[in-house]
This record gives sequence, C-alpha cells and structure tokens, in this order.
Amino acid sequence: MPRRTAALVALSLLLTGCGADGRVTLDFFQFKPEATEVFDRIIAGFEREHPGIRVVQNHVPNAETAVRARLVRGDVPDVLALNGSSVFGELARAGVFHDFSRHPAREAINPAVQRILDDLGTHRPGEVNGLPFASNANGIIYNKSLFDAHGVRPPTSWPDLLTAARRFEAAGVTPFYLTLKDAWTALPTFNALAANLAPGDFFARRAAGRTSFGAAYGEVTARLAELYRYGQPDRFSRGYDEGNREFAQGRSAMYLQGSYAIPAIRKAGPRFEIGTFNPHDKLVAGVDVAITMPREPRRPKEAALFVDYLMRPAVLRAYAREQVAVPPLREATPDDPALQGVMPFFAEGRLTGYPDHQIPLAVGLERIIQQFLIDGDRRAFLAELDSEYDKVMERRS
Amino acid sequence: MRTYYWMVLPALVLFLLFHTVPVLQGLYYSFTDYPGYGEHAFVGLRNYLNLVKDDRILDAYLFTFKFALVATVLTNVLALAVALGLNARIRFRTALRGIYFIPNVLAILIVGYIFNYLFANSVPAVFGGTNILADPALAWIGIVLVAVWQAVAFNIVIYLAGLQTIPADLHEAAMIDGAGTWRRFLSVVFPLIAPFFTINMVLSLKNFLQVFDHIVALTNGGPGTSTTSVSLLIYTGGFQGGEYAYQTANAIVYFVVIVLVSLVQLRILQRREATL
Repeated sequence: MPRRTAALVALSLLLTGCGADGRVTLDFFQFKPEATEVFDRIIAGFEREHPGIRVVQNHVPNAETAVRARLVRGDVPDVLALNGSSVFGELARAGVFHDFSRHPAREAINPAVQRILDDLGTHRPGEVNGLPFASNANGIIYNKSLFDAHGVRPPTSWPDLLTAARRFEAAGVTPFYLTLKDAWTALPTFNALAANLAPGDFFARRAAGRTSFGAAYGEVTARLAELYRYGQPDRFSRGYDEGNREFAQGRSAMYLQGSYAIPAIRKAGPRFEIGTFNPHDKLVAGVDVAITMPREPRRPKEAALFVDYLMRPAVLRAYAREQVAVPPLREATPDDPALQGVMPFFAEGRLTGYPDHQIPLAVGLERIIQQFLIDGDRRAFLAELDSEYDKVMERRS
Repeated sequence: MRTYYWMVLPALVLFLLFHTVPVLQGLYYSFTDYPGYGEHAFVGLRNYLNLVKDDRILDAYLFTFKFALVATVLTNVLALAVALGLNARIRFRTALRGIYFIPNVLAILIVGYIFNYLFANSVPAVFGGTNILADPALAWIGIVLVAVWQAVAFNIVIYLAGLQTIPADLHEAAMIDGAGTWRRFLSVVFPLIAPFFTINMVLSLKNFLQVFDHIVALTNGGPGTSTTSVSLLIYTGGFQGGEYAYQTANAIVYFVVIVLVSLVQLRILQRREATL
C-alpha cells in the first residue's frame, strides 16, 4: 500500500510539476558528472531560500545526445547547465533557448568570456542565449617538482616549449604523456595552435569558400606533429583516464590538457604541485558550464529565480573553487594555485574560443587528427579536412 | 481457430508499434533536413544523392563487408568443428557444452571492454609487440577475434541440434561400406545438416553486417576511421554529428542492402541443399 501511494505521488509530480506539499518542482538538466555533488549543495542553498520550490537535478551520461533526444520529444528541462560546445551553439541557433540579453547578472560577467559563448551561435544577432557559469583554461598542465628538479621554467613561447621538451627527453623524462586512444585528447593542442596561428577571420572566409585548411593550416599541422613526437611509446594505446592517472604518478613532465583535467588528476593523489602555463599569445578558453533555460519555459517565474541564484557571484566562486574552474567574473580571482599560471590571460582579456567549435561535429575532426598523428601525412590530413568540411557544408545548405 | 489469432495478435501489435512505425517515421525523415530537433523541411532525394557522393560511407561499407565476410566464415568453420567434437563420445560432454555456450550469455560491451584491456596491456606484455587495436591496419582483426569468439557459442548450439537429427544407423552403414571419417563427414553428415548450415550462415552474416557493440567497446571506430562500420557511422553521424536525416537515409539504404544480401544468400544456399 505505501508503495502504491508513493507511485501515485510520483505520477502526480510528473504530471503537474507540483509536489504533494504544494511545492513547485523544477527539472534541472546538468551535463557534468563530476559536478553533481556541488550542484546538490547549491540546490540545497536555493531551496532553503525558496521553500516553495524543489529542484531535481537530472544528470545522465552522454548529456549532449540526451538533451537532443529530449528536444526531439519536445520535453525541454526547466533550467539547463550545458557545456559551451558547438552543440550548445547549434541548439541556440535553432531558437530553443531564452534570450538573456537584459539579464542583470550580465553586469558582473567578464565580457571576453560571454563573447566566447555568444560566438558559438545565437538565435538572432544580439541575443544572449546562455550565461557563462564556469570557464576553463586550455593551457598546458605541468609537474612543478619535475620542472624544479631539472631546472626548467614554465615556457612562454613556442621555442621555449620545444627546448623544455628536449631537455626532459635528454634527461630520460617523458615530456608529454599522450593519450591518443581517445581521439579527442589531441583537440586541446590542435585548438591552441589553430587559435594562435591561423588568421582570425579564417572560419568566416572558409565558410565563404575563399580559403582552405590546406592554405592556412600548414603551420598548425607541422607544429602539432612536432609536439606529438615528444610522447611515450605506447601513446596510441592509452586513453584519457589512464593519462590523468599516469601524469598524477609523475610519469611525464607536462600534460596537454586544459584545466578541466585537474580535478581528475588530483583524485589520483599526485605527490607534487600542479601548475599551468600557456606558451602562446592568446589563451584558448571556453565556457565549461553555461546556464540557460527554454525560450518558452513551463514555469518561468521559478526557473528565473533559480537562474538568478545560480548566477550570484558567491555561487560562481564557490563552484569554481571546488571544480578548479575560473569564475567568469570581471574580477576573477581563483584561489587555486594550479591556475595562477594562466590567470594573467583572463585579467588582460587575451582570450579566444575553441576553433574546433566552428567545425561541424559531423566532420569528425578528432578522428582525422588521430589518423594524421598515426601516419604523419600532412598533405592527406589537410585534404581530408577540406573535403569533409565541404561535404558537410553542402549537405547542410 | 479464433484462439490462434488471439495468440498472434499481441506480437503483431508490438512489432508494428515498435518496429514498423519507427521505420516508416525514419523513411519520412530521410526526405527532410531534420537535424533531430526543431523545424524541418522537405528536401526530396537530396540526402540519398549526397550518400552516393560521400566517400566516408563507401569506406564504412567496405570495412563492414570485409569484416562480416571474414567473421562469418571463421565463425561457421570453428562452430562446426567444435560442434562435431561436442557431439562425439567424449568425457565431460555436457559440462563442455555448457562452457562453450557461456560467451553467448555475456554482454558484448562488457566482453569488449575486457578484451580492450587485454589487447592494450596483457597481450603486449606476454607476446611482445604493440596493441593491435591502436594500429589502423590491424585493428579490424582484433574486432574479428572478439566477434567470432562471442558468436561461435550460439552457432555451436544450432549445429549440435542439427547433428543430433542424424540417425546413428546412417553412420553405421557408411562405416560398413568402408567410409573414413572425412568421407563420412562430406557425404553423410554435412548434407544432412545443410539446412542448419544455411540458417547459421544467413544469421551470422546479417548479425555481423550490423556490427556495433563490439566496435564501441574496442575501438569506437578508430584509429582514425579505420574500423567505422555502417551502423556506427549512422549512430555517430546521426546523433552526435547532428545529421539525423542524412544518416536516416543511410540507414534506410543499408536496411535494403541487408535484406537483399540475406535473400540472395538464402536462395543460393537453399539451392545447394537441394542438389547435395
């Protein structure tokens, strides 16, 4: 009998969005499995302030596919926390999300970070379809003890980086722990090189057919291949999780991943201090978590209250502290020492978005890069990239 | 009489609801530019025309057929050999039959992840060499090994059932006529289990043409795109790449291809059954 009552209550919750106690239930879609506990605490704080609202956190593996599937069914969550990826831009362009252009929380947000999110795509020009909640820094992670032991300082330029890599190699230390079994793990390096070496208007010109990867990406490709020579021998057989673990064991001096990898590395219990640096002019930064809600919300008032709460600077800072993220605020001051190396780029606004977000996912960029890093054929790589890009664009038009 | 209709009806309704309706829906979307959400418009045959121009689709077809043919032949040769052994008078026959069936009960994804670990760590440690799954030229062999290991179990059961339909006096008569083991297999056993051979060949080829789980667990289509099967391409391009309508067209074409291949195969093998 109690079980049946519970089922009925659950059913009525689903049907009306109201609890038996009269509370309104918000469906909060959250994409980041590592962050469920932090969000649980944030939700608890919100519910204390708003006893009439209950927030249910909904997190699934493969969130981008899942959110698409829910949209197909016309079942849009009340509030969403999504990764600022090309999928986000695609959904925003399709007109699924609310326009936040007049939202008061925007005043505190770092405009350079907001621009990165908007550049992914908006429904109409001038709209703001999401608010940055946490940003990441796509620099290079390094092992401070190994750097000190070999008298190497964090590189600030490309030649510096190569010198450091050679120095470690000569000393018998693996410069980079590479994890090419997971094809995407080469993307951070590709992005940093592409953002700094290819012309700024490349993607606009590429879409118009006035340039090609073959013409503009020669240097990017050459440097990518050069860097990937300094890895361990079984680089094609190791994946991201193994990489985090092995780097934490001190197996390499540097690790070609962004700040988002730091929590996972720390979990493996490293016995050294983690640092970050960026050897390029500009730092590739992304919106790790963006907050948004549907254009036609079912519970507009409650959803807006929750968004307001999430966007409070104190909440942003608390989240960033826990997840080793950079709060997307004008006065960004992350307490985490691991991020000090890349903070000047945020303060000076020397930021740029992820170039791969401009390449349609159907191109399969990561697989093409993986193939290139195995066979080293630069000409074939660029030709393949151009031909896949053209095919996808033609299918879209 | 009416009872029989009632017995068939639930299955028919379920089949129409969960199989035929989605297929028709897919057919409809394959003529649109639907990305999986939001609005869509009719584009006629454009998706189908683009399929022909896409070399990635051709590569996926080539890989899938190469894989399916090799895996089908290996599976059936091995399954038949093991079934002959398990049908003979050997010790622990029942226990061995049970053991050989185990791979069929295990989930492919789990088996795949275990083999993934073995290929990456244990095999190089014991035999030397590198991880074959990390080599674009060799990765498909790893997938064949796992797929065959898993599929043999089920085919053994079918062959065993076939072998048990052969009356013992036929064996005896052949032996009295002086036929050796090999002669008896070719002239007595194989002709009599030919219908089971047909069903095993058709089912294995069809299953291997739809290969998906093995690849997700072992290589995820890589390195590069060297082990991307048609099903995997439909999934990654359609759901992750946002080309739902385009890959749905691909799925419709592939459905037709598999039906045709199965029909042709059935015709040829059944004709052989009659002449044997």
